[in-house]
Amino acid sequence: MKINQRDIASGVFFIVLAAIGLWLNTEHTMGSARRMGPGYMPWLVFWLQIALGVGVVLVGTASGPEKMDRWKADEIGTFIGGIVAGFAAWWLLHSLGGYFAIGYNSLGCGILVGFLVLSIAPGWRFLGMIMVSMAIFALLLEQFGFFAALIGLIVASCLPEREHTSKPLGVLLCTLFLLALCWFVFIYELDIRVNLWPTG
Amino acid sequence: MSKIARRGLLARSGLVLPLLSAPSLARAQGGFPNGPIKLIVPFAPGGSTDLVARLIATPLSEKLGAAVTIDNRAGAGATVGSIAVQQSAPDGQTLLLSNIASQAIAPFLYPGLRYDVMRDFTHIAMITTNPSVFVANKDSGIRTMADVARVHRAAAEGIDMASSGVGSSNHMLIVMLGQLLGKPVNHIPFRGAGPAMTAVLAGQVPLMSDSLPSSVSHLRQGSVRAIGMASPERHPLFPDIPTLREQGYDLASTSWFGLSGPAGMQPAVVERLNREVSSILSQPDIQLRFRDLGGTAQAMQASEFQEFVRRELDKWGPVVRASGARVE
Amino acid sequence: METLIGNLAHGFGVAISFTNLGAALLGALIGTAIGVLPGIGPVATISLLLPITFGMSATTAIIMLAGIFYGAQYGGSTTAILLNLPGEVSSVVTTLEGYKMARNGRAGAALTTAALGSFFAGTVATVLVAASGPLLTQVALSFGPADYFSLMLLGLIIASVLAQGSIVKAIGMVVVGVALGLVGTDVQTGQQRFTFGIPELSDGIGFVPVAMGMFGIAEIVLNLERPEARSVLSTKVGSLYLTREEFKRSIAPVLRGTVVGSVLGILPGGGASLAAFGSYMMERKLSRYRHQFGNGAIEGVAGPESANNAAAQTSFIPLLTLGIPSNAVMALMVGALIIQGIQPGPRMVEAQPDLFWGLIASMWVGNLMLLVINLPMIGMWVSLLKVPYKYMYPSILVFCSIGVYSLNNNVFDVYMTILFSVFGYLCNKLRMEAAPLLIGFVLGPMMEEHLRRAMLLSRGDAMVFLQRPISATLLGIGAAALLAMALPSLRKGKNAAMAE
Repeated sequence: MKINQRDIASGVFFIVLAAIGLWLNTEHTMGSARRMGPGYMPWLVFWLQIALGVGVVLVGTASGPEKMDRWKADEIGTFIGGIVAGFAAWWLLHSLGGYFAIGYNSLGCGILVGFLVLSIAPGWRFLGMIMVSMAIFALLLEQFGFFAALIGLIVASCLPEREHTSKPLGVLLCTLFLLALCWFVFIYELDIRVNLWPTG
Repeated sequence: MSKIARRGLLARSGLVLPLLSAPSLARAQGGFPNGPIKLIVPFAPGGSTDLVARLIATPLSEKLGAAVTIDNRAGAGATVGSIAVQQSAPDGQTLLLSNIASQAIAPFLYPGLRYDVMRDFTHIAMITTNPSVFVANKDSGIRTMADVARVHRAAAEGIDMASSGVGSSNHMLIVMLGQLLGKPVNHIPFRGAGPAMTAVLAGQVPLMSDSLPSSVSHLRQGSVRAIGMASPERHPLFPDIPTLREQGYDLASTSWFGLSGPAGMQPAVVERLNREVSSILSQPDIQLRFRDLGGTAQAMQASEFQEFVRRELDKWGPVVRASGARVE
Repeated sequence: METLIGNLAHGFGVAISFTNLGAALLGALIGTAIGVLPGIGPVATISLLLPITFGMSATTAIIMLAGIFYGAQYGGSTTAILLNLPGEVSSVVTTLEGYKMARNGRAGAALTTAALGSFFAGTVATVLVAASGPLLTQVALSFGPADYFSLMLLGLIIASVLAQGSIVKAIGMVVVGVALGLVGTDVQTGQQRFTFGIPELSDGIGFVPVAMGMFGIAEIVLNLERPEARSVLSTKVGSLYLTREEFKRSIAPVLRGTVVGSVLGILPGGGASLAAFGSYMMERKLSRYRHQFGNGAIEGVAGPESANNAAAQTSFIPLLTLGIPSNAVMALMVGALIIQGIQPGPRMVEAQPDLFWGLIASMWVGNLMLLVINLPMIGMWVSLLKVPYKYMYPSILVFCSIGVYSLNNNVFDVYMTILFSVFGYLCNKLRMEAAPLLIGFVLGPMMEEHLRRAMLLSRGDAMVFLQRPISATLLGIGAAALLAMALPSLRKGKNAAMAE
């Protein structure tokens, strides 16, 4: 067998993405070749993408053999669990109101919860925690200020790295250094518009 | 935080003139202004709205004794920036550079719009207005509105006419022209006035409906030909250009730029801001600056401006509906 | 010719005044600094700095803003080479070979060749602008919507050359990029497409969140997962300077890149964004070392960087001769001039000779200063790579996050970056390459716009693409390129089938 699993997965990905696009595109008018409507170009693009997807799948049946890394049980579990928990948290928290009703905070919490669940599996830990750290940054920045957001980001991003968890002093020094550097670069020099401290 | 100049590299470089670096920071009575004022411009930096904001921001910060910082929040026909102002506290620290696109045309273009122009904003002061102008390529053979009508009738699908974009007041003028001429004009929208003007200069599109400021230098140079001014009277900067009305086409469109804030601002703050803007607009150098741009500095009482915006809404609703432009 | 020399002499007289030299130096410094910071672009910085320029003379102001503009380009390639973080389309190309060179311990050489190549290209392009700017305007005006469409289509076809692996997959990624570019407000009708009612998406998905997520952040996760990969970064920091061999290999790509960039930069409808990867494609086809592409070939840095800088200079031509800005940075410069009471436009040469010739002279001065600033700094940049990766990655994350936020002062962009980081990570696992996607993402919307405008003007007659000579030529090149790409893989397929 010369099956290239990666190519086949890529081809299927192209086709699925294009099919979703075509479905969403049904709400746009096509127009005519002379006066193209908003749906004309997407229609062309998504059909081309389906054709290419089929092409990639066909090539994939002969270009192997190449196998993808097999997902372990915990990786599959946390992947599905993360998606479910993320959407559930988004939906539940949004209905709570207060902090969660401001801007995209409930979306951010959904992302945070989803990736936290994902990073339970050791195989996903780095991916999950890096995304968690960026979500923490976004969640804290506007209401809790620049410094809180940076501390959250740095600490969370250091958690999955074993070299850091065994030497918390290094993380502390790194945090202090980055806080000072970022204050100097972004606040003192560039003066970006952002709250430094928590706002009431 | 209440400094105008950057505190960074530039301020220390000595290139900044002293007058810019430290306006007297006399704190005003009654708690306004309380710290820097954020002036939200609902368009990208460099556009005509941005320019108006920057022209007014420096004198305004001197008058108020607080930094006026410009925050460009472009997007969705200027509605993103307007929503940001609508949702901020009505303490006068966050203001909007309101304009014809976001406050008079967008409400009809975006049926799902989240704000009501009259209910959700306090309209504080008018700043400047400018007319639109029809310009044609030099070699197109089009000199007057009679030529436009002739070419339009001869072409099966109507004459080609460029504009700076869908939903602009210039686009609406094109729609109204089509109504007067009996069949729709072939509207060619561009991404901004610059690319549209390039197409006219190159002869790809013979005709364009443009705001006067973006046409001024080309008209002075003579690289494009003016067909008519879309204003009730001739413009002082170009007294030789006839109006469209003189040529028998009752078309006029005035773009306007003003200062607005969230609903529920204190009357005293509104009054203060209106007074400062009016006094800035009465300065000869500011008037000259706006005039060079093809605009007119136009002071109004807050109540007059409020009424003006209401009339604009009444005026543009039917036109936008007739244009068929709609944003789902 | 004599008048040209006289004019240039006049220009240098203006540019070499103490204040203006200071302005050029300051602009170049600020530009380099913000270029190095991921996400903070020249547009944001210039708009922040505009109030400062009110206090300067118009000439000084524009010289400083122009300095920021090319300073940011230099700085941007530094981050692309060292950290795989592209801040704009042209740096996407630089990451391809530049980051690989850095991983091979040749970061210093990559930075040096980028600086030298850019300086050379900038010099040539400046002379070109001075000598024949007004003539070249005609080139810009001769490109109609149909021609731009064909140019963009050609760009998309050759974008698939950027990929190292399967061509079909690469074209697939280009198309996914085009699809992502569809999100936002339709220029022709004002309708919102694929925005799900999110106002932040109405202007489309931002380039920086996509590029930063798919390149920089995804790369961090992948490096963390492969402990052996990150040790390479901090241990292999080779010689800073170009070897004689590397220098020789760079000469031809720099020359070719200068030509390609100069020509494409003139076109205000998006030509400049094609410059870097047009040159990359050319080198990949023409270079004697094409087999090294994908593993850190110096040609893939020297050519695109030169092309990019040449285009940055010649993209001033539409501004100076027509008064029409060809990108957002230039739009801001127009704004700065107008606030000073100067209408940029065709009359600027006669009405403001100091400004016009001073700016042109300062282009060269600015490029020289960038070289002077950047060459000694290369050592410092490269030594940054010696920072242990465990401290490096939180720093990159911090700078990216703040940079992304400051684009629009909106946390939504941070969430978009998270989304595209995960997408980039998955793409890497499936061996789907991000570079073709980004090119499709940038060129797709322009292509659609020009296509629809061309069809509106031709009253629905698609023959216009073949009737216009420029368009027909470009389409012909595109078809030939497709064939040239398809043939080897077809042949390979046949051979494989026979071997079976």
